[in-house]
Amino acid sequence: MSGFLKIAIRNLLKGPVTDPYPFGKTFIPEKLRGKLKVDASICTACGTCQEVCPSGAIYIKKENDVYVHTTWYNTCCFCGNCEFFCPTGAIKLTNDFHTANTKEEKFKFVTIAAISEKECPVCGNKFVPATLPLIEKSYPHINDEIKNLMKLCPECRKKAAFERLYQ
Amino acid sequence: MSKITKIPIGPFHIGLEEPIYFKIDIEGESVKNVDMINGFVHRGIEYLAMQKNFFQNLILTERVCSLCSNNHPFTYVMAVEKIANIKPTKRALYLRVVADEVKRVASHMFNLSMLAHLVGFHTLMTQTMEAREIVQDIKESIWGNRMDMSANTLTGVKYDVDKEQIDYILKRLKELEPQVDEIMDVYFNNKIVKARTKGVGVLPYEDALRLGVTGPTARGSGVMNDVRIKAPYAAYDELKPKIIIEKDGDVYSRTKVRWREVKDSIRLIRLALKNLPQGKVVLQKRPHIPAGEAVSRSEAPRGELIYYLKTNGLQKPERMRWRVPTYMNWESLRVMIPGNKLTDVAVIFNSIDPCISCTER
Repeated sequence: MSGFLKIAIRNLLKGPVTDPYPFGKTFIPEKLRGKLKVDASICTACGTCQEVCPSGAIYIKKENDVYVHTTWYNTCCFCGNCEFFCPTGAIKLTNDFHTANTKEEKFKFVTIAAISEKECPVCGNKFVPATLPLIEKSYPHINDEIKNLMKLCPECRKKAAFERLYQ
Repeated sequence: MSKITKIPIGPFHIGLEEPIYFKIDIEGESVKNVDMINGFVHRGIEYLAMQKNFFQNLILTERVCSLCSNNHPFTYVMAVEKIANIKPTKRALYLRVVADEVKRVASHMFNLSMLAHLVGFHTLMTQTMEAREIVQDIKESIWGNRMDMSANTLTGVKYDVDKEQIDYILKRLKELEPQVDEIMDVYFNNKIVKARTKGVGVLPYEDALRLGVTGPTARGSGVMNDVRIKAPYAAYDELKPKIIIEKDGDVYSRTKVRWREVKDSIRLIRLALKNLPQGKVVLQKRPHIPAGEAVSRSEAPRGELIYYLKTNGLQKPERMRWRVPTYMNWESLRVMIPGNKLTDVAVIFNSIDPCISCTER
């Protein structure tokens, strides 16, 4: 019994171990998996996150010229699969864990990112261009030529790349 | 002339941690016979696993059970890797062991604090939980969640540790170890704990062999069946866990096995972090999975976990089935409970570290 008495006295001197959150500070680690942040300028709307999401919280829908990337937090289980499998690194999980919401907010409690289509300077077709982080994975040295080809739509790019070989 | 009284406990009872229905026949104060009925938390996860692709199943298998949540995806990825014939890097295997042992410490300490709660020693329970909070902090800081670490992925692990994070884990373990030693001493020598656990719920060696029990339940009865030692997987052949066995087969010896395993797990985490090889943590994020079938097994905190997986070359498993340790262990309750007092039923039930939600999935 004396063993526990020692612990009890030490605990008395140490004071409470609970944090006075939300009135005071609490321990929030950097790597805590919380709400998502989607960088629309890097995202290519490839749909990998939608495919790997185990709970079906991510939904990508095309509206006119814009791909709308929606994450619904009432289904999200904060597993981090989307962040891990994202080929461009557009999805990052922040350490924001504040997910309490009222019933009225249920369907509005989402993160939305809009990925807009670009116009091809040659033919005028709309398309989602590959972004720099994605190209960096495929090509070790990115020169201006590659950057110019990125602006073209797949059809025009094929043509331009083919013509380059024979001219 | 004595009269037999029938007493139902459960499925939802304050003394039970998980839903299971006991039909107990008592004579006077001692239990004569016990019958168990289960099936209260069936969620259809086996069928659900066949509707999801291999990457979604990494998370779904983790949600089967909260306390051994790392072992389920761990065994699942081992089965997938066996089919695809992929060998992860040494670094990935070591990191898998680190995640697994951290989970084992947390799981064992949770069960042991529940034991203190059931014997009525609540200050000891809070103290054990308080020490366990250090492990929870490690999990939250390195993997990002207190329970579901999401550490494993096909062909490797999802996380990597740098120098700073290794130092953080080692610093927190240094804090944890003296606390574990202190609390362990109370569990081993305290009068109240000893009175409620010694000689209670005895599972003799012969019965342990006959029923094929696994994990600390078997090792408490002197049966050595640690998968980490018998059939080493991941990096366990190099790290060499200690053989931990107690002979008596009562609740007390199972408690002892768990505490000694906590100590050994802390040693293994330190050893794995010290000898951490260099290299990539993941080979191929989305590998092709050919048709085939495989069986893999690992040592979960509760015992041996077996996964069977059959694929047909598509993105979803054709059949996935798993056998969890509690399925083997709870039959031993029929041997352990009769002859004990009614008040000890909850203590004995807790001593097999039951996980009904993974048994019924």
